[in-house]
Amino acid sequence: MKRFALAAMLGLAAILPAQAQTVVKHLHITSIPAEVELMNSIAADFMAANPDIKVELPFLENEAFKAKLTTLLQSADAPDVFHSWGGGVFYEQAAAGVLRPIEDVLSDEAKANVGTAGVSAFTAPDGHMYGVARDVSEVVLWYNKTLFEQAGVDPASMATWDGFLAGVQKFKDAGITPIAIGAKDKWPAHFWWSKLVVRLAGKDGFEAAARGEGDGFAGEDFVKAGEYFLQLSELEPWQEGFLAASYGDASGLFGDGKAAMHLMGDWDYGAMKDNSADKDGIPDDELGILPFPTIEGGKGDPTDTLGGLGGVLFSKNASDAAVKWIEFFNSTENQAKYAKDAYYIPIAKGAADVMTNPFKVQIGQNISGAHWHALFFDQALGPNVGGVVNDVSAELAGNSISAEEAAEMIKEAVDDSL
Amino acid sequence: MASIATGADLGVATRSRKRRLIERNSLPALLLFLPPALILFTLFVVLPMVDAATFSFFDWNGYGPITDFVGFENYADVLTHRNFGTAVRNSLIVVAVSLVVQLPLAMWCAIALSERGVHINVLRTLFFLPFMLAEVAAGLIWNFVYDGNYGLLPAIGDAIGVDMPFVLGDKFWVIPAIMLVITWKYFGFHMMIFIAGLQSIPSEVIEAARLDGVKRWQIVRHIKIPMIRSAIVISVFFAITGALQLFDLIIPLSNGGPSHSSHTIVTFLYQFGILRMKLGFGGAISVILFIACVIVALAYRRILFKVEQN
Repeated sequence: MKRFALAAMLGLAAILPAQAQTVVKHLHITSIPAEVELMNSIAADFMAANPDIKVELPFLENEAFKAKLTTLLQSADAPDVFHSWGGGVFYEQAAAGVLRPIEDVLSDEAKANVGTAGVSAFTAPDGHMYGVARDVSEVVLWYNKTLFEQAGVDPASMATWDGFLAGVQKFKDAGITPIAIGAKDKWPAHFWWSKLVVRLAGKDGFEAAARGEGDGFAGEDFVKAGEYFLQLSELEPWQEGFLAASYGDASGLFGDGKAAMHLMGDWDYGAMKDNSADKDGIPDDELGILPFPTIEGGKGDPTDTLGGLGGVLFSKNASDAAVKWIEFFNSTENQAKYAKDAYYIPIAKGAADVMTNPFKVQIGQNISGAHWHALFFDQALGPNVGGVVNDVSAELAGNSISAEEAAEMIKEAVDDSL
Repeated sequence: MASIATGADLGVATRSRKRRLIERNSLPALLLFLPPALILFTLFVVLPMVDAATFSFFDWNGYGPITDFVGFENYADVLTHRNFGTAVRNSLIVVAVSLVVQLPLAMWCAIALSERGVHINVLRTLFFLPFMLAEVAAGLIWNFVYDGNYGLLPAIGDAIGVDMPFVLGDKFWVIPAIMLVITWKYFGFHMMIFIAGLQSIPSEVIEAARLDGVKRWQIVRHIKIPMIRSAIVISVFFAITGALQLFDLIIPLSNGGPSHSSHTIVTFLYQFGILRMKLGFGGAISVILFIACVIVALAYRRILFKVEQN
C-alpha cells in the first residue's frame, strides 16, 4: 500500500509540471541533420531556462510544407510558429487573419536586432508586424574550379552574357555538363528567369509589372529575358534528364563534380555536400562563386541581388511564450551558432560577424551592398503568379515555349489575380 | 367483383409484406445499423461534395470567409485551361489501358492460377504483392527504377547496348512508363477477383465438358468466362472509377511533369486548385469529375441491364 502511495505521488509529480507547461510548436523545414541537432540544442537550452514552456519542433519537407500550410493554419493542429519566405504568400495569410500581430509583444531589442529591412519584410500591408526575420540568402552561380580548368574556361570570361554562352559551349565541346538544374521542382529553373529579369528590367521595371502597369510581364524586357533564357537552353547546357531531376538530384550532381555550374541559393553550400554521394561534396578550394553575367543595356543595377529574407510567422493562436521562444532563438548569441557552421546568413545584428566561411562572407557583403535585394519571385508574386513563373521557367529551360508566349502567360496570371 | 378481388389481394399483399418486415425484425436492425453508415456517409461524402460545389462558384484562395461570387467563371477557366485537355486525355488513356491491357492480363493469370498447388500459391502471392504496397512507396520504387543515372532501366539498357531515355523527364515516354506501373500495381487485384469467381464454378461442369471432348480454350471461352460474368462486371467498374481517380501513383513518379504532360484529372486539380491556392477553380474541377463519374456509373448500369435482357 505504501509502495502504491509512493508511486501515485511520483506519478502526480511527473504529471503536474507537465500540465502547467505551455507548448510551443515551431514548424520548420530544416532537413540537414546537423542543423536540426543545433536547433534541438537551442530548444533544450531554452526549456532549461524556462521550465514552464515546452518547445516542439515538427518538420515538414519543403514541397510538402508549401502544400499543407494553407489547410494546417486553419486547423486545430496549426503550429504556433512556422517558417516563411515572406512576400505574396505571407500577405495572403495576413489578409486572411490566420496570423497574430506581434508588434506589441516583441521586445524592442528583438526588433532592433533584425533591422529595418527585417521588420519591413514581415510587416503586412495592413501595417501590422506578424513575424521575425531570421536569415538572408542569395542565389549565386556556384562553379567547380577543377572542371573549369579541365575545359579551359576562364571564369573571368563569363562576366558578360556572350562570354557566358561561349563558355557554356566550351564545356559542351569538352564533354562536360555545363549546368546542373532541378527542373522537375521548377523553382530552380525560375532562378534563371529571375536573374535575367533582375538584370534586364531592374527594380522599377519588375515592381511596375507586378502591379500590372503598362504591358506588365508581357513588356519588352520580360520577353527579352525569355529570349536570353532560350539562347542558353538552345545550347542544351543542362544535365541529361534535367526535366526529371529534383533540386536534390541537381544539387547532388553538382556536389559530385559532374556539372560545372549550379545557379542556386547560398544554402546549397551545405546541401550540395549533403546530397553528394560521398557527403563531402566539392572541397572549399575547388568551389567558387561567379557573378551572374551582365547584359548590355539592362536596366538593373549591377549590385542587385536575388534571394530571400526568411523568417518565422506567428499563427493566430500563438501564445506569448511562442514570441519569447523566438526572441531567444533569434538572439545574436544563438544565431551566431548558425553563422559559425555556415548553415545560413543570420540577419541578427552581429551574428554574421563570426562567419568564417569565405563564401557566406562574400554573399553577406553582396546583400548588404545591394541596390535591390529582390525577393524570390515565386514567393514575392504569390502562389498563383509564382506558380506560373515556375511553370514557364521550366518550359524555357526545356526550350518548349516561345519567349512571347512565356511572357504572355505570366501577364495573364497577374491580370487574373489583380 | 374483379376489382374487389384485386383490392383484397392488395390488402393481403401489403399486410403480408408488413408482417414479413416485422417477422424478420429488419426494422430494428435498420434503425440500429443504418444511422452510423448514413452519418459517416453524410459527413465525409455528401457534405464535402456540397462544399466543393458551393465554392466552385466563388473566387477563394482557401483562407477566410467565402464572399467573392463569380458565377460559372471557374468552370469556364477549367475548360479553357491549357493543361486541362492533357489531363482529360491522360485519364482516358488510363481507363483504356486498364480495360484493354490490365483486365485481359489479369484474366489470363487468373485462369492459369485458379487451380490449387504450392507453386501456384507462391505465384499468386507474388502477383498480388504490388497491390498491397502503398501507392507512394510503389511510386518511389519505380522512380528509382526509371532514374536515368542510377536506375535499373538504364542499367538494363547498358547491358543490351541500348541508350535508354530519362523516361520520367520525356514528354512522350512518361505516359507509357506510368501505364506500366499502373498495370503492374493493379492487375493482381483484378486477378484475385477473377480467381475467386473461377473457384466458385462447380468442378462437375468443367469435368462434364472435358468428358464431352470440349477443348481447353473452348472451356475458357464458353464456360469459365460466362460463369464469372459478375466478377468481370465488378472488375471493369473498379478499373474505370479507379482510373478516373488516379492520383497517388503519379505524384511520386512524375508529379504531373514534365511540363504538365502527365497530369490526370485529379493531379491537375491538386496542382492548379490546391497548390496554387485557387480553391474555387479546384472545386469546379472536382464537380466536373464528379459529374463524369456519375455519368459513367449510370451508363454502365444501363449497358449491363441491356446486355442482361439480351
